[in-house]
Amino acid sequence: MQLSRDALLRAYRQMKTIRAFEDRLHDEIQTGEIAGFTHLYAGQEACAVGVCEHLGPKDYIVSTHRGHGHCIAKGCDVIGMMKEIYGSREGLCKGRGGSMHIADVEVGMLGANGIVGAGAPLAVGAGITAKGNGTVSIAFSGDGACNQGTTFEAMNLAVVLKLPVIFVFENNHYSEHTGVAYAVGAESMAARAAAFGMRAEMADGIDFFAVHDAMGELIDYCKAGNGPAAIELDTERFFGHFEGDPQRYRGPGELDRIRAERDCLALFRRKVTEAGLLEHGDIDAVDEEVMALIDRAVAEAKAAERPGAEHVVEDVYISY
Amino acid sequence: MATKMIRDVIVETIDAEMARDPDVIMLGEDIVGGNGSAGGPEAIGGIWSTSTGLWAKYGPDRVIDTPISESAIIGAAAGASLSGKRAIAEIMFADFIGVCLDQIWNQVAKFRYMFGGKSRCPVTIRMIYGAGFNAAAQHSQAIHGMVTAMPGLKVVMPATPADAKGLLTAAIRDDDPVIFLEHKALYATKGDVPEGEYVLPFGHARQVTQGDDVTILATGLMVSFAEAAARNLAEEGIGCDLIDLRTTSPLDEEAILDSVERTGRLLIVDESPPRCGLATDLAALVASKAFASLRAPVEMVTGPHSPIPFARELEAAWLPSRDKIEAAALRLMSYRG
Amino acid sequence: MAKLRAFTMPKWGIEMTEGVVAEWMVEEGKPFRKGDLIALIETDKITNEVQAEYDGMFPRLIAVTGETYPVGELIAVLAEPGDAPDPAEVDAFVAGFRPANASTASRSGKGAAPSDAKAPAAPSPQSSAPASSGGARIPADANISPVARSFAEEHGVAIAGIVGSGRGGRITYQDVLQASRPPAPAGGSDPVDITPIGNALGEIFASPLAKRLAAQHGVDLSAVSGTGPRGRICKADVLARVAPAAPEASSPAAVALHFEPPAAGTSEVVKMSPMRKAIARALSHSKSTIPHFYLRSRVRIDGILGLRAQAKAATGEAPSVNDYVVRACALALARHPDVNVQVHGDEIHRFARADIAVAVATDKGLITPIVRGADHLSVAAISREIKLLAEKARQGRLSPEEFQGGSFSVSNLGMFGIDQFDAIINPPQGAILAVGAGTRQPIEIGHALAFATIAELSLSCDHRAIDGAVGAQFMQTLKQLIEEPALLIG
Repeated sequence: MQLSRDALLRAYRQMKTIRAFEDRLHDEIQTGEIAGFTHLYAGQEACAVGVCEHLGPKDYIVSTHRGHGHCIAKGCDVIGMMKEIYGSREGLCKGRGGSMHIADVEVGMLGANGIVGAGAPLAVGAGITAKGNGTVSIAFSGDGACNQGTTFEAMNLAVVLKLPVIFVFENNHYSEHTGVAYAVGAESMAARAAAFGMRAEMADGIDFFAVHDAMGELIDYCKAGNGPAAIELDTERFFGHFEGDPQRYRGPGELDRIRAERDCLALFRRKVTEAGLLEHGDIDAVDEEVMALIDRAVAEAKAAERPGAEHVVEDVYISY
Repeated sequence: MATKMIRDVIVETIDAEMARDPDVIMLGEDIVGGNGSAGGPEAIGGIWSTSTGLWAKYGPDRVIDTPISESAIIGAAAGASLSGKRAIAEIMFADFIGVCLDQIWNQVAKFRYMFGGKSRCPVTIRMIYGAGFNAAAQHSQAIHGMVTAMPGLKVVMPATPADAKGLLTAAIRDDDPVIFLEHKALYATKGDVPEGEYVLPFGHARQVTQGDDVTILATGLMVSFAEAAARNLAEEGIGCDLIDLRTTSPLDEEAILDSVERTGRLLIVDESPPRCGLATDLAALVASKAFASLRAPVEMVTGPHSPIPFARELEAAWLPSRDKIEAAALRLMSYRG
Repeated sequence: MAKLRAFTMPKWGIEMTEGVVAEWMVEEGKPFRKGDLIALIETDKITNEVQAEYDGMFPRLIAVTGETYPVGELIAVLAEPGDAPDPAEVDAFVAGFRPANASTASRSGKGAAPSDAKAPAAPSPQSSAPASSGGARIPADANISPVARSFAEEHGVAIAGIVGSGRGGRITYQDVLQASRPPAPAGGSDPVDITPIGNALGEIFASPLAKRLAAQHGVDLSAVSGTGPRGRICKADVLARVAPAAPEASSPAAVALHFEPPAAGTSEVVKMSPMRKAIARALSHSKSTIPHFYLRSRVRIDGILGLRAQAKAATGEAPSVNDYVVRACALALARHPDVNVQVHGDEIHRFARADIAVAVATDKGLITPIVRGADHLSVAAISREIKLLAEKARQGRLSPEEFQGGSFSVSNLGMFGIDQFDAIINPPQGAILAVGAGTRQPIEIGHALAFATIAELSLSCDHRAIDGAVGAQFMQTLKQLIEEPALLIG
């Protein structure tokens, strides 16, 4: 599918924003100023953006603990996100969720989730709503969540109820510290999903266009009332499972190799410039704007209002 | 006013709410029954007969039979509710909370809080609990202690048909997640039920009997056992203030403390094992806020620290009973302070 | 002999407790084959077709169609297809049939649940001292907490009979404390009414206190809006609605005085303390159930006053008039044992010893500590004892055996200038003496007018146990003892 110039720039901007956001966080976390566990998405941008560029605010996504990328791609406020990760009262979740629970229900982002596999059933529920709206619901999972019982229950239920849910499996080859070759018994996640009775595809998660095209087809398929679908995207994560992970499970030179050979931003740039769709200058300009945005986000987050003890018991209920 | 069984009240209330609000949907195992079978849909209408006729009226898009997948049921109810629906999920036996605990505890209960107060998950999770049918250890438990302890959930336990109607209506309309606990041995209980729309607010206990000597707190099936005990005790000149809590979260603290301040004697009946449960929670509440009023130590009539056994005699011995409640009340009265 | 089997109301599903035989599909005596439809049985969910599980025949159909039978009840007798059983045999089978134990899903908690060991029976009201082992040492390996052990040893409490409430039967301090105290007084009250206020369905959303106040003040809760939590009606909402007292209409012919009605009558609500409630309960019960009658006598207390003066001169202090009266009552009770009684339902308990309760006013209310064995105590000893008890009473330090029991009370309001009053009997006692102030009054001595110090006595008696003549004789003796107080000594 041929994207317009604006659409291409937008897609790149989204991916670059994610990359810059995550790279910057990686540096800031070393200072010790950011509390708790953070799981960075750098390297997988083409997956999030390739999917979310098709979606509007009435389409729903549910994410994993590695949720910053999905959040940005779905249109959450970047500065609000940074503030949330810094734990500020001005953050997207008023400092009560943090990195692992970042959400904005109003734009259809039903939360990053600290429990592996918990998102899939939620996405099926959103699929019930989506069916009534004529929209779709996306369950993002990793190669770890794909083995969780809740994922299987969700896939079966989606098939049985014929819901417009797409299970997007981002295979970055490691579920925490264990390789996918060990942890996934089936031939592939897609094959396993197909055995559940749904249409299942595979695509190169490093190539934005491959992801985007495949998703376009699947979304049409679902909206046509054919029931759920699944897609397995082969991708890489550039950082550890969590920040602070020594990554001893990587082979020698692996990190360098994947950054050199499996960088989706570099691939995008090469493809669009070689095809004459965009100039390097256009892309560089986006880079500059994005870096400035991230600088601003961090600066604002560091200065933003801190929450107080009186905010601890807020919003446990709507009314009690 | 009409005389109805609790199970009929449940169906009628869900029906009324589904008619009133097109966003109300229902999910559960065999709530329709018969899908994919020769008998066809509505072969059962719910194994507890609490959804009979709803599928015929509202169709498969709103009355949704599910495979046996409790996590998926709760998760789907939650995801639908987060995205604008008002879902009722049925868990056939409350004991199955084990297989969907994460979706209730870490997801539904915590969304509003974690998402900065910006999300709304108006899900009602109906769970069928309780002993009395010799269904043994994995199909007889009461789980209110566990869920009352979870911030973010509301917990409701009706004991009468009238209360079931008012509380279920309130639960479905409540924008917070509600665990609605239905005792399987109370389904055929009959009682007077007001006609028309009727909402009972949470955190408002029911005064069952009124007396000056002993405060008895109970929920669910235990209320009728305690009432029988109270009537016997009244014959002996001992007046009991029997309070049906109706909801354990929020809790009607005022009614409890007000009563204990008058009687000075507290008896709690709880259909649960004794540790870390509702009985100990209420005893601690009273010990910390009404200590000066107590004339005797708190009596807690609970099951023992064991799973629920199968044989008739064993289950009967496990459960609190009218006799055990009366004996506890007499101990309270004969305490020499 | 035919092989007969029972055909009982089946149990389908965990909840089924009863069913109705809608129709018998075979006739009595007619054989049927396996798989034939033999009955239609209705439960509150569905009508089930019952198919024969083997070839057979019903020599007797018992269940009446349309009637309800509990699960497990015999509804027909089954036999082999070729059989022709004797009707007598069938009768015997029916008569001998016992249904299996029905499910113990009892809704009212009756019957099926085995009772716990009964709570200890209400003990007799004797004001006996608690069990004492005279300080026996407790074995080192006894299952008892350290504090409980030291208390038990110090107070000589026998632990052999104590059932420990701690883990593994360990005896706790609480257990020992309970064992050391005399048994709680017998209940045995009349039945109480436990109907709650405001228990209607579609009830008002108001707190319990608000409901009680509303009932007390006649406030219609349906008209009140709530400002409590979750919009509940609370005490303040009700009190705000309590109507002020209506001003009296002035008559037109009256002088035009500007009469301000009293300020709005919101009363100050003081919750009854447990003690006040106990007093209220006991005395209401007493006044309403005991047939009181009153014997009044005027006694000259000059003799007592003389003795007092002597004692004062001799030792610097003297017993009060009341102390002498108590001694006199004790001796009179010893001579009239029919007045020295407690009444318990159908029983009259007579006492050999005079345990007399003396009314003491404390700021919490009236309390009546007991002088035990007053018939064996001198007036001086009685005086000391009463002082001690009164002090303890005012400090709230009386132990139960010091104010529970006794057969007779003396209440003196003379120090407040009361001439005469009638007291309410303190159950289970049989009588109470009310003593008024001693006042100088003219009397006839010889044929001349003289003055004497007269006190008015009123004896309230429980007519269930004490008749007029009996009480009167007691009063005669009492009067004599008071007027000739030399008789009080010894």
